[in-house]
Amino acid sequence: MQSEVRLMRSKKSVKMARLLAGPLVLVLVAAILGGNIGIVTAAHTDWPASGMICTSNDTASFSLVTMEGTINMPDGNTIYMWGFSEAGQPFQHPSPVLCVNEGDTVTIVLHNTLPKDVSIVFPGQNNVLANSVPSQPVFSAIGNLTSLAPVAAANGGSMTYSFVAEKPGTYLYYSGTEAVKQVNMGLFGALVVRPAAHPDWAYNETVAGEFGETYTTQFEPTTEYVMMLSEIDPNLHMAVEQGLPYNMNNYRSRYWLINGRSFPDTIAPNGAEWLPNQPYSSLVHIHPYNDDPTSPAYNPYPALVRFLSVGSEDYPHHPHGNHGRIIARDGNVLVGEGGEDLSYEKFTVVVGPGETHDELFAWTDVEQWDPVTNPIPVEIPQLQNLVFGTFYSGSPYLGNLDTLPVGHQALNQCGEYYHIAHNHSLQQITAWGVVLSGHITFTRIDPPLPNDCP
Amino acid sequence: MSKDNSTQRLSRRRFLKVGGGLIGAAAAATVLPKALLRPTKVVEASPAAQITEPNLHFVATDGWVHLPPPEVPPYHPDDMAPVNPAGLTTYIFGFRDLTGVADQQLFTQKMKAQLTSPTFWIDEGTDFTLKLTNLGLQIRPDLIDAHTLHFHGFRNAIPIFDGEPHSSVGVPIARDLTYFYRPHEPGTYMYHCHFEETEHVHMGMVGVVFVRPAADTPSQRYAYNDPATAFDREFVMCMNEVWSLAHWCDSHVQLPEWSDYAPDFWLLNGRAYPDTIEPPGGGTDLATGELIPPAGRPDLKYQPISSLVQVNSGDRVLLRFVNLGYVEQSMRLPGVPLRVVGRDATLLRGRSGNDLSYYTDTIIIGPGESVDAIFVAPDVTSETRLLLANRNYARLSNGGAPGYGGQMTEVRIFPAGTLPPQTEPNT
Repeated sequence: MQSEVRLMRSKKSVKMARLLAGPLVLVLVAAILGGNIGIVTAAHTDWPASGMICTSNDTASFSLVTMEGTINMPDGNTIYMWGFSEAGQPFQHPSPVLCVNEGDTVTIVLHNTLPKDVSIVFPGQNNVLANSVPSQPVFSAIGNLTSLAPVAAANGGSMTYSFVAEKPGTYLYYSGTEAVKQVNMGLFGALVVRPAAHPDWAYNETVAGEFGETYTTQFEPTTEYVMMLSEIDPNLHMAVEQGLPYNMNNYRSRYWLINGRSFPDTIAPNGAEWLPNQPYSSLVHIHPYNDDPTSPAYNPYPALVRFLSVGSEDYPHHPHGNHGRIIARDGNVLVGEGGEDLSYEKFTVVVGPGETHDELFAWTDVEQWDPVTNPIPVEIPQLQNLVFGTFYSGSPYLGNLDTLPVGHQALNQCGEYYHIAHNHSLQQITAWGVVLSGHITFTRIDPPLPNDCP
Repeated sequence: MSKDNSTQRLSRRRFLKVGGGLIGAAAAATVLPKALLRPTKVVEASPAAQITEPNLHFVATDGWVHLPPPEVPPYHPDDMAPVNPAGLTTYIFGFRDLTGVADQQLFTQKMKAQLTSPTFWIDEGTDFTLKLTNLGLQIRPDLIDAHTLHFHGFRNAIPIFDGEPHSSVGVPIARDLTYFYRPHEPGTYMYHCHFEETEHVHMGMVGVVFVRPAADTPSQRYAYNDPATAFDREFVMCMNEVWSLAHWCDSHVQLPEWSDYAPDFWLLNGRAYPDTIEPPGGGTDLATGELIPPAGRPDLKYQPISSLVQVNSGDRVLLRFVNLGYVEQSMRLPGVPLRVVGRDATLLRGRSGNDLSYYTDTIIIGPGESVDAIFVAPDVTSETRLLLANRNYARLSNGGAPGYGGQMTEVRIFPAGTLPPQTEPNT
């Protein structure tokens, strides 16, 4: 199937790509929605289908090994990559999401197997040590800057970085050596620091509302997401693979990835076995907001979406369905010095190079449309007068399924809603000429509990 | 469980139930097994207080617009452009507002889309319906594209009215769908087609919709329910770009490589300077459905929205910026501080009751963002002109040529009391 998609270049063919994406998506979504644990790689059977996958341990000590490997693009291309993996683990992209607690002394031992020097910088962390001395830029004997941090030497060198995770938040870590090339090659990952006292809060701070209410950054722990935004210039990667120089003035990204995948792979489950080196899903899977504690559908806490970018330009990420509330940027909670609220709602989250934005996201069934008691006040045309989307249930009502045309690829399971979430620089929701790829993922909103969803 | 009152005028279920005769028998042969296989949980809808007359009736189709010289061979002007009216250069897709035009006249407006799409507005808390009819693409009959209307930023949207065709439905050629909105939050939003969005949005299916706050009255306008957002005049600044190669590709049955995106014309409300300061079009002739061109500019017939800002000294002027291009922009009005009061249809006010608005000289606005900025027109004793322009000067060029063009317009300030009150945005 991938080779079929790869050939898409003509207008007609690209339209076909959309159609062909149907069966492909079918496979992926069936896996997500069906909770088909059997096809997730054995090592990851404990992973939920969606949501952030933390790499963590009691000592906050990590051994990262630089690896080379390849990842798959939905147009059938295979891209040569570099990455950090935990010791003993295969190559993965992006590098592991390291989760630690506020106050932890974090130790990262870097073992470098690549033919180039590699280092790691931790923007947002203070007093980082490298082999027990302050990590600082490295200069050659004649004063030229050679690395932003002390390196693990090529072909077998090591370097130990450590710091105290003083401040909760969402951070990046990535190579500080020849970063323009090495970061694009995949040497980057997310670092999450959780509040020591409130693991299900994004930050410790609270905000006093103008009516005496109090706002926290508490979120529903089963709906915590990372959206690591990146891009790839395949010619750069080919040059690195072949050991050739590359003029960065010729840099042009052709692929745009969320958590190391291009749509439709983005919505495949965590640990999908057909993406063996791209383990992280980007599907957001939530239930409607409900603040009635007596209701079985009680769901008072929003999802937490942690946006990060290692791209070369601003990405305007637009989740359909609702605004999100931006509560922090670059690990800095948006609370003023007087305790006032500096957070804000956005329908487009613009994430610049090296930035992180933390967003609380919820969706409320405001109108409570019901086919019997509260029908929508306009007529929906009959079947032959519409074209239907893959994720549509056949019914406009949440939790309701209705008839769809013959032969329609229907992936909807239980009347759940879907909303796209995508980069609004729409030339970046493509994959080297194939449209409807790149920076796209979806939000799935299940009917309120109890429901019929598998 | 199921009642005979589906929302679908004649659902397959009903069709079969009432015995569709010969056609029904034929249809049943293919329909029934599939219908039976579906894990159905069907609660069919009660008859509602159905809205039959929409507030607005939009059509989606293709068309042609005028962009200024220089030539960018072979893409600009497009050699397939119609000769009447003279001066059309660029193939587009777009919407038109044909509210009040007789149904039998709709298809006379095929290949007569406008750029940018009509601005429309809704009152907070007031139900609103928009019927979208797909007229098809005259120049590309091979493209049987559906269209949709995505109300970008509408809070707590349900998929059927969100216009994203994978999560819901699209409108095929010669068919229609009525979108329903009950807006609860004021502010500046935008809309665009979401079917094959990379192509359709770039081809021009973009426009501005805003929601007037409950506090608003015809005699005292507000952007939000906050006295600090009072204004006297408002101007929509809908920004996008034209990559003439991509538009030419569409009229010549070709496809651009989107990752090569390299726009060469930069537009405000669908026009490049100096056309931006030409007057607005004269509306739609309801008898024929035809747009009435701006005075003296028949070539701007399909670009009816003026960006000329004309105000009196002391006026509070609201600029509603929307970016539906694919790159970030940087708009300035040198010498006049702009107070940003809203972004993404959200009043800049913290939950502690604190003011988050700010003054700036530069509106940085990314694709898919909106910014509401208010300025107070300075005191003048005679007509004074300022330039509202993109500080990214490379975007003040048409087709890469020397001279001034692109995303620029004029702010003309008159002595107090010169202009009558504004009746509509961008006038």
